[in-house]
Amino acid sequence: MKTLLAIREREYEWVQQAFPSIHPLLLPICNKPFTEFLIDFAILAGSTEIRLLSDGPLGKVEDYCEDGSRWGIKLSYGHLQAEDSLPELLNKSRKFCTDDRIMIISGFSFIHYDKQLGYANFMSLMPAGTCASCPGGNITLAGPPETSAQELPALPLTLMPLNQIESYFRISMETLETGAARYVLPGYGNEPGCAIGRNVVISKSSEIIKPVSIGNNVQILSGAVIGPGAIIGNNVIVDKESTVKSGIILDNTYIGEHLEINGRIATGNTLIDPARGASIAMEDPHLLSGIRSADKRGSAIRKTVHLLAAAILVALQLIPFLLLFPLLKLLGRWKSGMAICHGAGHGKSFTLPTTLITGNGPLASLASSLSLDRLPLLLRIFTGQLAIIGSTPVPVTLETVVLPGEHQGYRPAVFSYAEAEEWPVNDSDAAIVERYFIVHSTPLKDISMTLKALLNRL
Amino acid sequence: MNISETQAGSITIVAITGTLDASTTKELLKSPAISNPAQSVVMDLEHLDFLDSSGLGALIGTLRKKRERSAETLISCMNDRVRRVFEITNAHRIFHIFDDTAAAVDYATQLTARI
Repeated sequence: MKTLLAIREREYEWVQQAFPSIHPLLLPICNKPFTEFLIDFAILAGSTEIRLLSDGPLGKVEDYCEDGSRWGIKLSYGHLQAEDSLPELLNKSRKFCTDDRIMIISGFSFIHYDKQLGYANFMSLMPAGTCASCPGGNITLAGPPETSAQELPALPLTLMPLNQIESYFRISMETLETGAARYVLPGYGNEPGCAIGRNVVISKSSEIIKPVSIGNNVQILSGAVIGPGAIIGNNVIVDKESTVKSGIILDNTYIGEHLEINGRIATGNTLIDPARGASIAMEDPHLLSGIRSADKRGSAIRKTVHLLAAAILVALQLIPFLLLFPLLKLLGRWKSGMAICHGAGHGKSFTLPTTLITGNGPLASLASSLSLDRLPLLLRIFTGQLAIIGSTPVPVTLETVVLPGEHQGYRPAVFSYAEAEEWPVNDSDAAIVERYFIVHSTPLKDISMTLKALLNRL
Repeated sequence: MNISETQAGSITIVAITGTLDASTTKELLKSPAISNPAQSVVMDLEHLDFLDSSGLGALIGTLRKKRERSAETLISCMNDRVRRVFEITNAHRIFHIFDDTAAAVDYATQLTARI
């Protein structure tokens, strides 16, 4: 048997809003990524090959799961469109679906299965059609059963919708309670209800009360109380005298001293109440903050190159600017304003100067050709707010208070990569070009693209 | 880059081998099935080794021109390198993508029959 996992972006949109730093398909449930639960179940059901289909980005999932050899299966990846029906999905993966029996797991829902049970037998006997479903998800079998059974027992599993923070919290807590008896969960432990990852430092005076799941690279400092019902993710520090019970601390989070996290989810500097879905972002890094990895060396080189290029451009533009700006301002052709735009990184925003050179006169044309309208923006490269070339800054509006997920790798800049290319005819095309170069560009390529963008304006 | 065109009923299969970048897109755009906006095509990208933003632009431009004339551009048999480019850029949301050329031809035939 083979399995198709079909998950549409709209089904996990809420995860992108609630936990922007986590890929929704890698959302940790009891320190195990969501997709791994699906893979485990597909293997229990007798699958030797699995294909993950989505209309959203799969790069991070692919980096994590690779080719499936870790599980002894073949794992491949493909695309679907949000409106694709089941027959269309099967048709689009026709080469993959060569086996008679295909299991299709659709939707962003959690499968309550039991690893002790042999699902392969059930799946080979079940007739074609939907064999389990819940709002927003289902398991469907395609193709005839291997053998026909007179009477089929009920399939020993249930599906639970994973459609909001409350259901995520509940499923996580239930998984923690059930523990390794039902699922394959990460971590080591010599007694049930307690799983501890690698490189975990637990102070002698701290207390661990079952059930708990603690990830990798965790420090629990003196006097801290963890549990009962605590899920501590990877790369977490729980500082002195703090308590975490019936709560989830997601990866890369620092919990300050003397704090009590009870029935809440902490992620970075944000504390979420799962029952109401309300969240609060802490400004004080000593209370609650995200643990960020240091900038990579490549990023530092890129910033230096961009700074040098900006310095040269400012030097070249300064004299024409000083000559043309007063004239255009007097003629009313130079219109400037301010706009609040999203910055690189979740929740960051800043005010940017906007300039519009109007009219077709020779002075206005010359100023536009020399990109003098970008000079105020070039200065923002020195403050680290903008890059010289990257994404078009996205204004903050009522609809885009949070930067939409489609702007992955967003790097606001003075010039956009799309300006350097000749083919984009609309915003959608421009976004495609920007996303391509955000991933593929190098610091040197950035310089050549900036030159192209400048030349295209001449 | 090598382009081969094969007719499958009313649909043309355009198989591209090699590199599709700024230096080769003109050649693709000149090929008969691509330059005819009313002709539905299935682009077989199994042997496409490299695709850059200009190549992607050529594919998107082709799709747009053909859709204006109610024709389709479908993609089949993408290898992992090309698939990643489509995914990074979100171009996979614009195209219908198949892992089998025959399935893509069937789908294109159904689409054109509906029009």
